[in-house]
Amino acid sequence: MTLNKEILKKLVSAIPMTHPDELGCGDCFEQINEFAEMELLGKSAEKAMPLVREHLNRCGECREEYQSLLKALKKLKIYS
Amino acid sequence: MFNWFKKRSSAATYTNEEWIQHLTPPPLEAAILKLRSFLLNGLKAALYKNVDRGLDDFVQDIAQDALLKILDKLDTFRGESKFTTWAMKIAVREGYTELRKKRYQDISLEQHSSYHPENKEAVEIEHEQPGPDQLTHESMMVQKVMKIMEEELTDKQQKVLQHLMIEQVPMTVVAEIMDSNRNAMYKLVHDARLKLKNRLEVEGISPEEVLEQM
Repeated sequence: MTLNKEILKKLVSAIPMTHPDELGCGDCFEQINEFAEMELLGKSAEKAMPLVREHLNRCGECREEYQSLLKALKKLKIYS
Repeated sequence: MFNWFKKRSSAATYTNEEWIQHLTPPPLEAAILKLRSFLLNGLKAALYKNVDRGLDDFVQDIAQDALLKILDKLDTFRGESKFTTWAMKIAVREGYTELRKKRYQDISLEQHSSYHPENKEAVEIEHEQPGPDQLTHESMMVQKVMKIMEEELTDKQQKVLQHLMIEQVPMTVVAEIMDSNRNAMYKLVHDARLKLKNRLEVEGISPEEVLEQM
């Protein structure tokens, strides 16, 4: 098992998007229901909660869950 | 008939306060059934593309597990959204956690849980010895940054990066392998990125320069 240039390339590629105040997956999960609600109500979730948006851009697993949450809420017509 | 309709309509339009009131122990059976049905329908819409066979059975199990978690976490709901949205996010995460584990269940936890910080072999850096020809194609800068990565990252960070970036193991599963949680894994990788970023700044190396040489 080794570290190699593939890891280096991925880490270096992520550096421009790296900030000290990033949300972690836990913080994102805490806020994602509010973010989803704003999105479905047509409010500007990204402006109101930019750190959540940034985390979703970075974290594939949180993004996958968020997109599925939206699907579920749309199907259930909670906000229509 | 009217009473039945009235009761049914009322359940369909619970306010957040009513949900909390009805689910607080001892929970109202009608509220449990309503929430369970809600979770089942939502999970089917959320996960049908990810489950090849047995979607109904899968979401039944997930809804049941999620229901228990929701009841357990009821006092953490702070009302920032509709209660049902909050409940649904818990169910969706439960579903994906299970799906990701199933997808990678063939990865031996035993194999990965053998991590010991003192086990240098498990986290050995790939020390490449470039020959003269290779040096003509490969920047000394890349070698330098490789060395920086070796110096800056802890053994645990290197181990986690190996799982995530080379073996393509989901963070959910890596967290289990490392006997940790997803948030801690994210923070660990974030810390690795931040350390590398800061060190490159100190060394006067831009990420773009490095990537151009790779």
